[in-house]
Amino acid sequence: MANTTSHPKTHWDTLHKNGPFTLKLLQITQLEGKANIPSAIDRYNDAAIEIQRLIKEASDNKEGFRAYGARWSMSSIAHQKDRMHYNSYMNLDLPIFSEDVHLASSYEHNNLFFFQCGNTIKEISQALGAHGKSLKTSGASNGQTIAGCISTGVHGSALDIGSVQDYVVGINLIIGPNPEDIVYIERHTKPALANSFIQKINSKVIRNDKLFNAALVSLGSFGFIHGVVIEAEDRFLLKRYVKKIDKNTALKLAKTMDFADSDLRIEGEVDANGRPKRPYHYKVFINPYTNEDQYVVEVMYKKPYISTYPDPFNTIEKSVYRDLIYLLIKISEKFPKRIPFFIKQLQKQILPEVNEESLGTLYETFWDAPYQGPAFACSFGVDSKNAEKALKVLIDLTKNEGPIPGIYAMRFVKKSEATLAFTKFPVTCMIEIDGVLWKKSRNLMSLEEFSRRMIQVLKQNNIPFTLHWGKNSDWSFPGLVEHMYGDKAKEWKKYRNNLLSKQMATLFSNGFLETVGLSNNSDTEIENETIDEDLIASLLD
Amino acid sequence: MTTLVITCFRNVLLFGSILLFFGSCYSVRLVSTNGAPMPDQNNRDDWYRDKRVLVLDTVIKANVAIDKITIPVKRLGCESGQLFSVEYKDTFGGNLLYLFTLGSKRKVKIKYVCMKPEN
Repeated sequence: MANTTSHPKTHWDTLHKNGPFTLKLLQITQLEGKANIPSAIDRYNDAAIEIQRLIKEASDNKEGFRAYGARWSMSSIAHQKDRMHYNSYMNLDLPIFSEDVHLASSYEHNNLFFFQCGNTIKEISQALGAHGKSLKTSGASNGQTIAGCISTGVHGSALDIGSVQDYVVGINLIIGPNPEDIVYIERHTKPALANSFIQKINSKVIRNDKLFNAALVSLGSFGFIHGVVIEAEDRFLLKRYVKKIDKNTALKLAKTMDFADSDLRIEGEVDANGRPKRPYHYKVFINPYTNEDQYVVEVMYKKPYISTYPDPFNTIEKSVYRDLIYLLIKISEKFPKRIPFFIKQLQKQILPEVNEESLGTLYETFWDAPYQGPAFACSFGVDSKNAEKALKVLIDLTKNEGPIPGIYAMRFVKKSEATLAFTKFPVTCMIEIDGVLWKKSRNLMSLEEFSRRMIQVLKQNNIPFTLHWGKNSDWSFPGLVEHMYGDKAKEWKKYRNNLLSKQMATLFSNGFLETVGLSNNSDTEIENETIDEDLIASLLD
Repeated sequence: MTTLVITCFRNVLLFGSILLFFGSCYSVRLVSTNGAPMPDQNNRDDWYRDKRVLVLDTVIKANVAIDKITIPVKRLGCESGQLFSVEYKDTFGGNLLYLFTLGSKRKVKIKYVCMKPEN
């Protein structure tokens, strides 16, 4: 049997120390060993029984229950005040054979892989690599678990690919303590797995596009995500360049995404007509405190995989003394005017080296990002057409009302079909400011105040925006979710309330959901909603 | 003028002390480019946050004839038996100990993280 250890706690924190938050009980489940249960599917099902036992226990105690993985989110989205479940040891992968694929499936069977929730992007990449496959995209690093990635919308800067959730084609959810409470959801228009496979994981199948899209970016609230099916692709290489280019060229590209007619010309990266190729990845770095007429950009082009390429891990990393960083932050809190100077001094540590080039797989390119101390990140999604305008508004705020110890970057992501994906624009420009966490002082506003002002200035300038679910913000800003998602937020709630029982909707909720108004705060609210069984019906056998 | 010289001297002394303090010990860490580190929900505030780190911090008695020392990896916390990272720390105190005991006492500080077992 899978085994869970329970640790009474008083507090819990995120990886980057954005808390602390109160917690009663931390639970960690270890799978039964291979020696006792040789079949991976049997061990997977055994783990499901254990999770259902924990759900029942929480429910009997009238407490909440929430799974989390690598705790990389900086918002409180992963936190639950009662019971939290650490998923990291649940890292099985189940083989999918050709007979396991649905007859109407358009996916190639050798591109489909089933991973348990606690697998990290790194583990998945390695497992896929062993089959000559790769993920289509990842975040800037590899430590997040797959369940955490899709629940919060983790993204990279793959212009034509999307976010992590966009290559997930099936989700296995545990939505309650009873045997019938394990469901497998996929799109009815794009089925992936055969019913026979779904029976093997003791699940009820629901093929329904709208339900699937709602459950895709679930904010961890559609039940316990036990496993996901992803669509991989053949392994490829990424040729990465770091260039300093004219600011106007960088911003024009951000706005138009028209690389073919741009001035960004990289030797060898042109088509047969000599026009610049469209890159796989485009990222712009901006130090808000300098008025340079050039920006550092990172551009990557996809290349076919070959085995004979130089080892990309050829640099020796040197880290700055942590105490020195803390000292600079302490000085910054007292003398904020020194922040631009400090950022300039640390620029070499923060920004990639100009004219750097590398070649590697996705796994090698977006490698480990180890913990470097308490950090913050605020990330806004805007239509790429509004990228330049939004960046100016946010930089002006940072300079005029700051300074804030961080630098900006812009990344670009294709639209997601997920109901609450923050990548909701045709191409979403994610404008993010990352930096070292600071404390409010007489001369320096707090992160909460800064976050609030960012929302206010974007609203004042009529720039539609979204917010990265896993990043810092003033999440209690009135009407925030309605402003960002309108009817989509209502749709998401409707599907959640139809899939989960009233009791389970409460159990899988948390403070974050309540703060943003996506939870059901009262019984009346649930009862006022029409429960519509058809809404969550399977639309394909 | 005297005050200015004293202030300058004090600044140089302070800067020198900081450099000496920082430079008196250093670490070198070897990290595997494959495999995931063994996870752990710890409250550390360094590179090992959320990694299960095993620390070997001891003084090993030896004599002048001893060249190399081999230490086995602990089983508890290293179920995979594979190493993800190894960090060796060289300290000023450790070097002094070696020097003054003519190599008969050797300060060893090694931190290592094992690979997360594959299921």
